[in-house]
Amino acid sequence: MRSQKNVVSFLKKNQIIIASLALALFSLHLALTGRQEVERGFILREILSRTVSPMQRLMLGVQGSVKGVWSGYVNLTNVSEENERLRKTLTLVNEDNLRLKEEINLAERLKSILEYKDQLPHKSKAAVIIGFNKEPWARTVTIDKGAKDGIAKDLAVINPIGVVGRVIDVNTHTSQVLLGSDLRSNIDVIVQRSRIKGVAEGNGTDGFLLKYIRQVDDVRLGDMVITSGLSGVFPKGVAVGEVVKIEKGRDNFFKSIEVRPAVNIHQIEEVLVITETGLYAEE
Amino acid sequence: MPGVKRGFWVQIHPNPAMKEFLVFLPITIVYLALKSTILVNLPLPDLPLIIVFYMAYRRPTIEGALMGFVLGYLDDAFNGGIIGTSSFALVVIFLAMHLLAKKVQFTTPAFRAGGVAVVALIKGVLTYSVLRFANVGVYFFTHVILMSLVTGILAPGIITLFQRLFSLFGPESFKGKAN
Repeated sequence: MRSQKNVVSFLKKNQIIIASLALALFSLHLALTGRQEVERGFILREILSRTVSPMQRLMLGVQGSVKGVWSGYVNLTNVSEENERLRKTLTLVNEDNLRLKEEINLAERLKSILEYKDQLPHKSKAAVIIGFNKEPWARTVTIDKGAKDGIAKDLAVINPIGVVGRVIDVNTHTSQVLLGSDLRSNIDVIVQRSRIKGVAEGNGTDGFLLKYIRQVDDVRLGDMVITSGLSGVFPKGVAVGEVVKIEKGRDNFFKSIEVRPAVNIHQIEEVLVITETGLYAEE
Repeated sequence: MPGVKRGFWVQIHPNPAMKEFLVFLPITIVYLALKSTILVNLPLPDLPLIIVFYMAYRRPTIEGALMGFVLGYLDDAFNGGIIGTSSFALVVIFLAMHLLAKKVQFTTPAFRAGGVAVVALIKGVLTYSVLRFANVGVYFFTHVILMSLVTGILAPGIITLFQRLFSLFGPESFKGKAN
């Protein structure tokens, strides 16, 4: 009984040391035994996992929110710069896109004009219209070919659709072309269906007046008018335009006929200059 | 009626050691959560060690030893270390401090700083030993010494904060309260 009291007294007196040693040994056991969950205090770990993980998630959540707000603010300041950069990129892409489309169109037009050039029985030179002069008294265009390229005055200028005009002035590298619609322009023509001959004069705007067609001549609306080849400037058979209006002339002898040009000058960019002269039709 | 003057908290939890346990536990959890998430790269003081040091020299109880074990366990759990290493170190330090406190009084800030720095080094040595024994490669000098210095330097201030914190809850006089 006495020894039992002594033991209890000893334990009470040294309870901290005993408890500490027990806990230290238990800790050592946890640390040094295998790394499997069961051997290292599965229950304690499970309990703690329910407190540790939520706490860490909470901290990371708070950090994430703060970071989110901050990065949102920083992003906002960067958005305008990025927008500007993207806008510039988009502009460049659009420019490239337009340029490519233009090049495709140009390639198609050149292909068309080259095919036409190959079909022509006359020598010709392709040229690009580089300037328009549309004033009340003049309808001319400037092309990028001149004397150095073999261009001379009074050469015919056509395109695959029809008559454009004739060269009236030649420089070293450029030339002026008088359009068929100019008041000074006269082209010998025939009505394709009835073979009636006449002269297509420019009306000063964007059309022709078909002159010297008698009242008795067979000309109808929709008739196609082509070059006759009689003047020696234009080869025979090139389209000039379509009859769109027929009226009785003031002198009661000739008809007043309006012809819509086959070539819309506003839509063409490349032309062919017939470099041969004396293109008289073989009757 | 002395219990009435002690206030609400003391009436519900009359055991001071348990009261400290309940205060230190959430503080440690928050500290470890911060340390293992947001403040990973900062050299923070070893708060569980300071708490154990504080409890061991001031009021050594079984709850203090248990707290050393729990805080160490939490430390390992939060930091992903081998469970038991910090527990072992903290419990041993608690026991050593308990035995040492009978002869040495850590009543001045300098003593506390030196004491905590030394026990931080001891904890480092213990942890290192256990880890080496468990065949885990660790870098002793870079980690332990820096942690010891930071912990030692900040320990007096943190202990003062603890004292002020508990003076709000109850009128118990602590050994180091006069300082």
